[in-house]
Amino acid sequence: MNAVSLIRNAEPTQTPWRFRFDETRWCTLIHVLEKDPLLLMGLWCDGQDIHAVFLDEGQPIVATLALENGRYPALSPVREVASFDERIICDLYGVEVMGALDDRPLLDHNMWQVSMPMGRRLQFNENHKGLPHFYPSDQFFQGAELLEGWGPATGNMDPPFHVSVALRCGYILRAESQMGYTHRGLALRWCHSSIKEACRLSARVSAGVSVAHQVAFCMAVENAYGICVASDISLIRVALLELERIIHHLYKLAILAHLMGADLIAHRCMSLREDILEAQIPITGSRLLVDVCLPGTVTLSNVCRIGELCYKLYINIYEKIISLENTWRVYPGLMTRLMSLGSISREEVVQFGVEGPVARASGKEEDQRKMMPSYAGLWRYSSVQRQGTGNDRSLVLFNEVTESLRMLGMLADPLNTSSVIKDMGYWGEKGEGIAVVEGPWGPVLYWVQLSQGYVSHVFQRGPEKAIQLLFERSLQNHTMDKIPLLACSLGVNAAAFDL
Amino acid sequence: MWMIRAVLDNVFLRKRQSIKPAGQYWPIWFFHIDTGGCGGCGMELQALSYMPYDFHKEGFGFVTTPRAADILLVTGPVTHTMSPILEAVWEAMPKDQPSDFEEEEIRKPQFNFKGIITVGECAINGGIFSENYAVIGGLEGKVPIDITIRGCPPTPIDILNGLRTLFERK
Repeated sequence: MNAVSLIRNAEPTQTPWRFRFDETRWCTLIHVLEKDPLLLMGLWCDGQDIHAVFLDEGQPIVATLALENGRYPALSPVREVASFDERIICDLYGVEVMGALDDRPLLDHNMWQVSMPMGRRLQFNENHKGLPHFYPSDQFFQGAELLEGWGPATGNMDPPFHVSVALRCGYILRAESQMGYTHRGLALRWCHSSIKEACRLSARVSAGVSVAHQVAFCMAVENAYGICVASDISLIRVALLELERIIHHLYKLAILAHLMGADLIAHRCMSLREDILEAQIPITGSRLLVDVCLPGTVTLSNVCRIGELCYKLYINIYEKIISLENTWRVYPGLMTRLMSLGSISREEVVQFGVEGPVARASGKEEDQRKMMPSYAGLWRYSSVQRQGTGNDRSLVLFNEVTESLRMLGMLADPLNTSSVIKDMGYWGEKGEGIAVVEGPWGPVLYWVQLSQGYVSHVFQRGPEKAIQLLFERSLQNHTMDKIPLLACSLGVNAAAFDL
Repeated sequence: MWMIRAVLDNVFLRKRQSIKPAGQYWPIWFFHIDTGGCGGCGMELQALSYMPYDFHKEGFGFVTTPRAADILLVTGPVTHTMSPILEAVWEAMPKDQPSDFEEEEIRKPQFNFKGIITVGECAINGGIFSENYAVIGGLEGKVPIDITIRGCPPTPIDILNGLRTLFERK
């Protein structure tokens, strides 16, 4: 029996995609997952149950286990990326994990006012003095000649995190990251918030991927209450998702070019990005596309002109992107140097459960957009490269920008209506919903539990955890000065990681 | 936070009235620290360094070490984990230049004011991320802030206009 059959044959719940396990079945699942490649998206706790969400051909499927004496068997021995979630659950709830790969704290470095803030018993802490300590793993020092650290205060513009590296002969032998610097307690903030407030929070999980979070949250709420949104709203959301992808990729390409010393290209990327932002502000009302969605609707300042915006961007930007990509390809030494940056094999991508452009640059063709009904007739293909180098990832980003612009061009006509979108309001007493959308760096999943128009629990999962793991591994055999480059090339995102 | 307050009070209140005007040929160096936000304000700050904004021509620049910085740019709500790091960064920044520096025979226009600027609602008052077990909130009311630039996030133009007011200081 494979893992999917094992899950689907477990005790059904009120939702068709979640199944209840007993501990024996959970242990069997762990055993089956040793050989089954089923993708684990994440692991979360609601205080009473532990939930593991998998993606089966793009569709989420959840296994639930009731906590017995406040503990559960670990999934990390068979899915390394689960280790981050297990550590977070332990930090937030104080739930013990049996047989975990790693039991070090991940977010709580003895700096919070309360330990286990979502657990049954709050434990108040005295004010911690001094900087947070880094606790390396047992094998961290093996074979190392020198230890160094990078972050969290680097002066760059990204959310902070720390990387400790063990060096030998000037090259990184081992790297371990310390997270939690940007932990804002979002899981607790979401609990008992109104749906609108929860949506505002999801928009601010991480800038640059804000639309993906908003749309996934809204779709999860709609799923929970059985709301079927109008087709024009679905299409507007697709336009916003693709617009965000273009803006985000141009930003990342600019930073990457700057770090590689190609400032001419960096300026051109940023200049194009600014042209797009300038064009979209009168229609969306937000430069970084924050607060543009609500469950059942979209909240643009001038929704009637969204079709016009799509057409304008396609006509004005498409050729410029092609020209920019050509410049990128011929810029002296740029591609050659990127080819030696963070080469990631397809096997590594599968091992760590990485999705999105990073996986596609390594030859794994997975894209959540092909599963989404609103992309029917729009999504054509996802660009795939083979070698998984920094250069391949850059080319994938360029290709995705041109594809997104093409989709915007196709959306211009269907969206060129003067429809008036109303706030649909919310109804229903209790509900549980789940949704996945393809964000700029890969799938973004939201699970929501709702009660009386309020949010009981939210679980959010993006590609950040898997990418962080891959980032640590791919730093090996690089010098320390490559840390920001590799972080940019892989899309490391501490804000979305920490929540 | 009391330590940060003590350090900042000590530094700011001493020379607040004798700040030299910034020179037009000498850039003001900023060190940016994100103290726990979503990264939106950081993205807008990043945009300033590129076309079409002329951040460098305005007389500004970013540095990657606080030891070379004149001004600390803070974005994001301050988390408990980032609080001691913010304090360490502030302490690592050079103190104001001694007043006899102005008497040197060949005097380069020099900006010698150590300050702190909060960019975005979160850094000012916590914004949507109010105080909880992990978040202290914004810096407003906790430490002396020289300039506050509001917005969620503020646009690059808003930030640039806010930073320009540094030159108006006497």
